[in-house]
Amino acid sequence: MVRPAMSEEGHRPDPGSEDSDHSSFANAAWSIPSYVLSGMAVYGGLGWLLDRWLGTSALFPIGILVGLGLALYLVYNRYGR
Amino acid sequence: MSAPRLLAAEGETFQDHVPGLNIFDWPPLFENGPAWLDWLTKPTLIVLLSALAIIVFAWRAFRAPQLVPKGVQNVGEVAYLFVRDQVARPMIGADGDRWMPFLFSTFFFILFMNLSGVIPVLQLPATSHIAIPIVLALVVYVMMLFLSIKHQGLVGYFKNMMFPPGLPGPIYVILAPIELLSNIILRPFTHAVRLFANMFAGHLLIAFFASVAWWFLAEKLTVLGAGIGIVGFLMSIIMTAFEIFVQSLQAFIFTLLAASYIGGALHPEH
Repeated sequence: MVRPAMSEEGHRPDPGSEDSDHSSFANAAWSIPSYVLSGMAVYGGLGWLLDRWLGTSALFPIGILVGLGLALYLVYNRYGR
Repeated sequence: MSAPRLLAAEGETFQDHVPGLNIFDWPPLFENGPAWLDWLTKPTLIVLLSALAIIVFAWRAFRAPQLVPKGVQNVGEVAYLFVRDQVARPMIGADGDRWMPFLFSTFFFILFMNLSGVIPVLQLPATSHIAIPIVLALVVYVMMLFLSIKHQGLVGYFKNMMFPPGLPGPIYVILAPIELLSNIILRPFTHAVRLFANMFAGHLLIAFFASVAWWFLAEKLTVLGAGIGIVGFLMSIIMTAFEIFVQSLQAFIFTLLAASYIGGALHPEH
């Protein structure tokens, strides 16, 4: 992982400290809307395009649900563990 | 008009006076003034006053700091510590102190603009005009992009963003587009819209309850209508208190997210 060497590096709080917990909790809470929106947009959009191409109508709602699930999985993976 | 009317009276009813989008439309302050002054409307005046307020506040608090603080310096130091310990350090880390000038002025600039929604005479949150949150979010967005590319490199930035460590292999292919769209397009969008929508809705709510009270208690006082008017009056007081809370919270959240984006650009492992 790219991590620039900085002079302040030595003073940073430990990863397990209270500050870091607070930070990752707030990050998770406030990044959920944009992840959920983009998950639904990407896979809902893909489903919509496939619908137009194949002449079906079910892939658009399925895509939205799949995107929602993937977005929540992503949030869980990045912040939940 | 065939819609059911509230307490149908002769002539005008309350429904002709429900506040709508028109309460956000402001003509130039000097309508017969010179054309070059047309930009000066009530919202722009509030932006200017808020900028002036934060400048005067910071100047008075920190111009000649005493070892034992008193007066405005006391308030300024409490405010500084609040932003530093609640926003800068948790979100960015120990080097967050370097970002304090930006975060401090962002927080109080937005707070003053929001609070102008409940200050008598002003009574319009400048941030309920979407242009202002958009400009503020764009500043943060451009800064975030610049810092990310500076600290992680162009390739490294996209690699850290789209392929964060700790996921099983093939899942990256389906999650990377979500990350890309979320970080590049939707994050600045939700950043701006969250502030705008809260201020817009809050202002509309206060205006609605206040006009209910005014219409039923002052304009068309009837025995039946007085009850509705009293409810509107009480609700407008409750909503004003609630708005003060929301206005402070949204200023805080906007600054918190700005710090979180800066922190993410500097330390991608967060």
